[in-house]
Amino acid sequence: MKQKQKEMLVTVAFTLLSLSLFLLLWSILSINNPDFLPSPLTCIKKFQAMLGRPISKVSLGGHILASLKRVLLAVLCATIIGIPLGLAMGWSKKINAFVSPIFEFLRPIPPIAWIPLVILWFGVGEFSKVFLVTLGAYVPILMNTITGVKMVPPVLLNVGKIYKASSVQILKEIVLPAALPAIFAGLKTAVSCGWMVVLAAEMMASKSGVGFLITRGMEAYDVAMIIVGMCIIGVVGYLISICLSFLERRLCPWKTNLE
Amino acid sequence: MEDKSRVKMSLRNISKSYYSRKETQEAVRDVSFDVMENEFLVLLGPGQCGKTVLLNIIAGLEEPTTGKMLYEGKEFTGVNDGFGLVFQKTALMDWKTVIENVEFGLKIKHTDKQKRREIAEKYIDLVGLKGFENSYPRQLSGGMKQRTGIARAYSTNPGVLLMDEPFGALDAQTRYMMENEILRIWNEDKRTIVFVTNNIEEAVTLGDRIILLSSCPAEVKQIYVPNLPRPRDNMSPEFLAFREMIEKNTDMAL
Amino acid sequence: MAEEIKKLSSIEVENRNKKKEFRNLFFIALAGLVCFFGIWELIVRLGLIELRYLNPPSMVVSTFFRKLVDPTPEGSTIPQHFWASFRLALCGFIIAVIIGIPLGWIMGYYKTANRLIRPLFEIMRPIPPIAWIPISILWLGIGYKAKAFIIFVSAFVPCVINAYTGMTMTSQTLIDVSKTCGASKWQVFKTVCIPSSLPMVFTSLKISLGNAWSALVAAEMLAATRGLGYMIQQGRNFVRSDIIICGMLVIGISGALMSAGLSFIEKKATPWRTQK
Repeated sequence: MKQKQKEMLVTVAFTLLSLSLFLLLWSILSINNPDFLPSPLTCIKKFQAMLGRPISKVSLGGHILASLKRVLLAVLCATIIGIPLGLAMGWSKKINAFVSPIFEFLRPIPPIAWIPLVILWFGVGEFSKVFLVTLGAYVPILMNTITGVKMVPPVLLNVGKIYKASSVQILKEIVLPAALPAIFAGLKTAVSCGWMVVLAAEMMASKSGVGFLITRGMEAYDVAMIIVGMCIIGVVGYLISICLSFLERRLCPWKTNLE
Repeated sequence: MEDKSRVKMSLRNISKSYYSRKETQEAVRDVSFDVMENEFLVLLGPGQCGKTVLLNIIAGLEEPTTGKMLYEGKEFTGVNDGFGLVFQKTALMDWKTVIENVEFGLKIKHTDKQKRREIAEKYIDLVGLKGFENSYPRQLSGGMKQRTGIARAYSTNPGVLLMDEPFGALDAQTRYMMENEILRIWNEDKRTIVFVTNNIEEAVTLGDRIILLSSCPAEVKQIYVPNLPRPRDNMSPEFLAFREMIEKNTDMAL
Repeated sequence: MAEEIKKLSSIEVENRNKKKEFRNLFFIALAGLVCFFGIWELIVRLGLIELRYLNPPSMVVSTFFRKLVDPTPEGSTIPQHFWASFRLALCGFIIAVIIGIPLGWIMGYYKTANRLIRPLFEIMRPIPPIAWIPISILWLGIGYKAKAFIIFVSAFVPCVINAYTGMTMTSQTLIDVSKTCGASKWQVFKTVCIPSSLPMVFTSLKISLGNAWSALVAAEMLAATRGLGYMIQQGRNFVRSDIIICGMLVIGISGALMSAGLSFIEKKATPWRTQK
């Protein structure tokens, strides 16, 4: 026990040491050329300023919310499309044979490469952005649902067969719960993919959102603003993944709540 | 005494082959035998010889390539309501508690909640799992998991219980205990049991009759009737002699 | 003799059934593709969607062949665009691998190095590669340096973290086995720890390759004069959906080919995992 506490203490000390070394190095580098690399202190001041004053008529919180809303809406759409389609493709060889060549044809195209075409089709409005993020988010959900269904232990399907369970019963009682952890992993990837695509979409064409913040910083030659924006992107992404892990524990109690 | 002269189920010329790109494999070849009412029948065979395939065919999980099966005199195909199956790997659902797992078959058959809880509790009691109803399978030991599997198979009140190497994954100590347990459960609630194993000692301990299968493809090699009094003592000279006799006739598995 | 005939028939029945199933699935897959391209071609030909919004597959294919040699309207042929992007991706990626993986291994082997370096990577990890685009353009201009840097960053962080994780997952038993056989520290590191970490490393490489490739496309769309991202961005400016779709397909196919190449290297590097 004591050993463990000591270990913890050392780790914390080293973490603090490494972070302060990093900040020190950053400060030293920024002395000569504060426009090129503003000091950490300048960045904090910039952050305070951004908190107080709206950027392009939208407050900082408003930008974050705008991006979050797009991602959540898109992930919801992707889930509604991806899970049923994935269940069908994992379940029926025929549906899989029909859909998967088309899917395999489209899948390698990164969602970001869809941006010009989608803007050409739907303009630069909100719909385009949600559509693009959906394109990025549905792939992992669909893929993981298919894998999840295919990896259901055949022996459990046999249990269902032995009791002459109907397809609906097998789906509800066996396939869905067995595939749930895989589906959830897909959902996690989908959110982080979506978070990336929304940045790109906002960087290309937007008046709000965190992606807009950093391109705005680029256009204004304001490195401090870009760094603050990147930090916000990182922190929000991190918070999202924590929330999802929490949700996962609630949804799959048999996986984690045992020890 | 119960009557063991009535034929409960018959297999006639069952064969099964599996397709693969390289070479199609024959797993079961021309197997025929009868199972008597309330009999403890053991299918004994070496390693990967296709005995599980044979049991899956009886259970209706796989279709025989050729041949037919009879249950109480009538020919049937596919899953038969009169059968319960205890699986090789425990085949419990991780996301259901013990009692939910035992209830599974009844739930599928739309038995009402009150009734199925009652039946499940009765069989959980029979297999000696009282007090663990609300545990998840991950919290159970190997023996307890297999007890749950047995309770699940009993819960739908089947005429024939099929058991596919149920104790194969257990350590030796637990295995001896579970063999005695299965005999106790069988004595308390008599059923026809078809029990698959690769362990000769287990076969001689449990079986009213032992059907010895050959290595790939599985064929009926010989049928033994160990006329040893129960409970059987696995150190007695008769037991050992019987065991050796079977051993000499068994194909070596790699 | 009679038994021989029965055996043959049992096998033949099974063979026939399976072959029939394969044939059916193949035709269904074919039907799926025919439907997809047929509907796409038809809705444009019938005028349901205007030609400038969506070109039919036949025209996309002919544009592709024409653009192989013709630089109009945006100034470069497809091979030129492709080479511009591919060269950058390869450069940034290889540098990231050469620096990142050994760094991750060192972190996995030396506790102190890990404690000192890892917090920095844990901070950088949640920032997606795309977010690095603006700052790298400001720092390094719109030329190849900024893009190579973006590729480098997007591959570097996952390389380090996964090489580290792979190394810490080395089984203690294997290390003990080598120690009892009298292996030196360096030998343990080389023969046990590194091979154990390889599967993790390749997994991360595949993921980061995809991310890096799409980050590059984004960077080229924002600021470039050549490259596949630039090509589709210009396609939009010229309202030429055939060029956009062509570019998208080239991006997709070359991305898939690169990841196939990586899988091939993985197969050669970790034969114990992939060979059956």
